[in-house]
Amino acid sequence: MIKNIRLAYSMLSPSLLWLLLFLVVPIVMVTVISFTTSEGYGGIIYEFSTHAYETAFLSSMYLKVIWNSIVWAFSATVICLLLAYPFAYFIAHAGKWKNLLILLVMIPFWTNLLVRLYAWIILLNGEGVINHFLQNIGLISEPLTLMYTPYAVILGMVYGFLPFMILPIYSSIEQLDKTYLEAAEDLGANPVKTFFTVTIPLTLPGILAGFIITFVPAVSVFVVTDLLTGSKLVMVGNVIRDAFLIEMNWQLGSALSILLMILVLLSVFIFMKFTSSKDKKFLI
Amino acid sequence: MTSEYMVQLKNITKKFGKDTAVNELNLDVKVGEFLTLLGPSGCGKTTTLRMIAGFEKPTEGEVWIDEKQVAKIEPYKREVNTVFQSYSLFPHMNVFENIAFGLKMKKTGKDEVEERVRNALKLVQLEDYVNRKPKQLSGGQQQRIAIARAIVNNPKVLLLDEPLGALDLKLRKQMQLELKHLQQSLGITFIYVTHDQEEALTMSDRIVVMNEGKIEQVGLPHEIYEKPVSKFVADFIGETNIFECVVSEFKGDYAYLDIKGVTVVTPKNDTLQLDESVYMSIRPEKAKVTLTKTQDTLLSGTFKEKIYVGSITKIIIELPNGREMVVNEVEDDLIGIKSGNEVYVSWQPEDSVVFKG
Ligand SMILES: Nc1ncnc2c1ncn2[C@@H]1O[C@H](COP(=O)(O)OP(=O)(O)OP(=O)(O)O)[C@@H](O)[C@H]1O
Ligand SMILES: [Mg+2]
Repeated sequence: MIKNIRLAYSMLSPSLLWLLLFLVVPIVMVTVISFTTSEGYGGIIYEFSTHAYETAFLSSMYLKVIWNSIVWAFSATVICLLLAYPFAYFIAHAGKWKNLLILLVMIPFWTNLLVRLYAWIILLNGEGVINHFLQNIGLISEPLTLMYTPYAVILGMVYGFLPFMILPIYSSIEQLDKTYLEAAEDLGANPVKTFFTVTIPLTLPGILAGFIITFVPAVSVFVVTDLLTGSKLVMVGNVIRDAFLIEMNWQLGSALSILLMILVLLSVFIFMKFTSSKDKKFLI
Repeated sequence: MTSEYMVQLKNITKKFGKDTAVNELNLDVKVGEFLTLLGPSGCGKTTTLRMIAGFEKPTEGEVWIDEKQVAKIEPYKREVNTVFQSYSLFPHMNVFENIAFGLKMKKTGKDEVEERVRNALKLVQLEDYVNRKPKQLSGGQQQRIAIARAIVNNPKVLLLDEPLGALDLKLRKQMQLELKHLQQSLGITFIYVTHDQEEALTMSDRIVVMNEGKIEQVGLPHEIYEKPVSKFVADFIGETNIFECVVSEFKGDYAYLDIKGVTVVTPKNDTLQLDESVYMSIRPEKAKVTLTKTQDTLLSGTFKEKIYVGSITKIIIELPNGREMVVNEVEDDLIGIKSGNEVYVSWQPEDSVVFKG
C-alpha cells in the first residue's frame, strides 16, 4: 500500500516539479516583489512596503484600466460564445467534414496573434479595405474611424480567441449522448425546444470551460490594444508591461499583476457560481 | 368506428448502406395488445421500434399508427412514447421535471401537470423521490421513472426497448409482473423488445420472433413454444432436441420419420411428403426415460450422464446413430444407473413438431 503511494508520488513528481517551478515560484516571487520598496529603475530593496498597492488604488487611472479590461474582455467573451456555439454545433453535425473543419479552426494557432492582427489593420484602416468598400458602394461618404475604438479592441479579441471558445464547446456537443435528444423529441419537444431544454443545459460544462479559457487570456492581452488602437487605448496588460519594461517599477507591475489575478479568479468564481447554482453536482 | 389495429407495418424495409436491418416486414398490432418482438442480437428489433417512433425512416414500406400513414409526421408529433434501453433520463432535471417534460411540451396547465406527475409516480411506487436527480436513483428506480415519464403522456402506443436488460434477475422478474399489470390496467398498446425468451413468454399477449430482419413466426406464447414453425424458432425458444429426418412412411394418422436409422413417429399433416427431408423437434420435458421397454417406447439409447439443475434433472442419452438427446425428468427414477446402460425413450407423438427449415 505504502509502496504504491510512493510510486504514485514518484510518477507524479515531474509534473509537480513543473507546477512548482513555473507556477508556484513565479507567483510567490511576484507577490513578494509587490510588497518591497522601490529603489527606482528596477532596483529592489527588500523592505516591506505597500506603496505599490497605494499607487494602484489611489490613482483612478489604474482601476479604470482594469475595469475597462474586464468589460472589453467580457464583451468579447460573450460575443465569442454567441458565435462559437452555432459554429461548434454545425461542426459537430458535419459528419465526415468534422475533422477538416476542426483543423481549419486550429490553423490560426500556427501563426502568432501579432502577425494576424496586422491583417486587421489593413482591413480597418481609414484607407483600409472596409472603408474603401463602404465608400465605393456609396453607403458612407467619409471614412469611418474603425481603429482606435473599443470596438476594434473587442473585435481583435473575438478574432484572436474564438477558437478557444469553439473547441471546448465542440467537444461537449460532440460527446453529448444523442439518445437524450431523441428522448426529448419522443416526449414531444420540437427541435428548437430540444435545443434549449436539453442540448444547452447538457453542454454547459463546455460553455463554462470555453468562457474561462477565453476570458482569462483576453483580459490580460496587450497586443490587441497595441496594434488596433496604436496604444491609444490601454488594457491592464499594457500597463503591467509598461510598468516592468518602461517605468522599471517592478513593485507596481507586480502589484497590478496580483490585483488582476485576484480579479480574474473572482470573476471566474462568480461566473461559475452563477452558471452552476442550479445544479452544482452535474457540472462537476 | 375505432379500428382494430393500433400499429401496422406494411412491408417495411430498412437498409443501412448495403446492410438490410429490417426486410419486408408486415405486422399488425392490435389495440391494447402487449406484443413482444423477440430475436437474437442484431435481428432488427430496435430498428423496427425506431421506425415506429419515427427516429428512422423506412427505406421502403409504410408505418401506420391509429389508421394514419405517419411517414410525414415527425417523431415529436407522434402519439407514441418510448422507454429507452438506457433509460435516457435527463441528468440535469430531477424526477419531477423528467416526468413533467412531455406534459410541459404540450403546454399542460401547472395544476394538471402536478397531479398527473403524482399519479404516474404513484403508479410506479416512487412517490417519495420527486426531488432526486437520476444519478441518485438505483437502476430499477431509474427504469421505473423512465416508464412513468412515458406513460404520463397517455400515449396511444408505448415502445419499450429491452427496458429490463440492466436489472438483476430478481428485480427483473418483479418488474416483468409490474409492467404487465400496468399495461393491463392502463390499456395502452405495448410493443416490447427483448431477447430474453422467458421474459417474452411471461409477459406477452403475442410474440413476434424475428431473425435477420424478417419475421419467423407470430403467435400466442404457447403457440410459439409448442408449435414452432421453423428450426430457428424451435431452437431459439427454450431448449429442444432437433433431429434431421426423412419421411419414410405414412400409416393411419401418423407419419414415420427416419433419423439416420432410427425411426420415430409424429402426427401426419397435409404438407408432409414421402421421402422429404424435414426436422423434428421434441422438448426435453415432453420425453420420458425408462429402464425397461414399454408400449410407448420410441427409441432406445445408452445413458451418458445426469445433470441436476435444481427443479429438474437433465438426462443425456446417446442414440444408436451417435446423436445425443436431452430429456428432463422432474423426479429422478433412474437410481443406480451407470454410464453405458441401455435406456428407453418415449413421448406422445402429438408432442413432437415437424417443420421444413
Ligand atoms: N445506425 C445504423 N447504421 C448502420 N447499421 C445499423 C444502424 N442501426 C442498426 N444497424 C444494423 O442493423 C442491424 C439491426 O440492428 P438493431 O439495432 O435493430 O438490432 P437489435 O435486434 O435491436 O439487436 P440487439 O438485441 O443487440 O439490441 C444490425 O446488424 C446493426 O448493425
Ligand atoms: Mg436493440
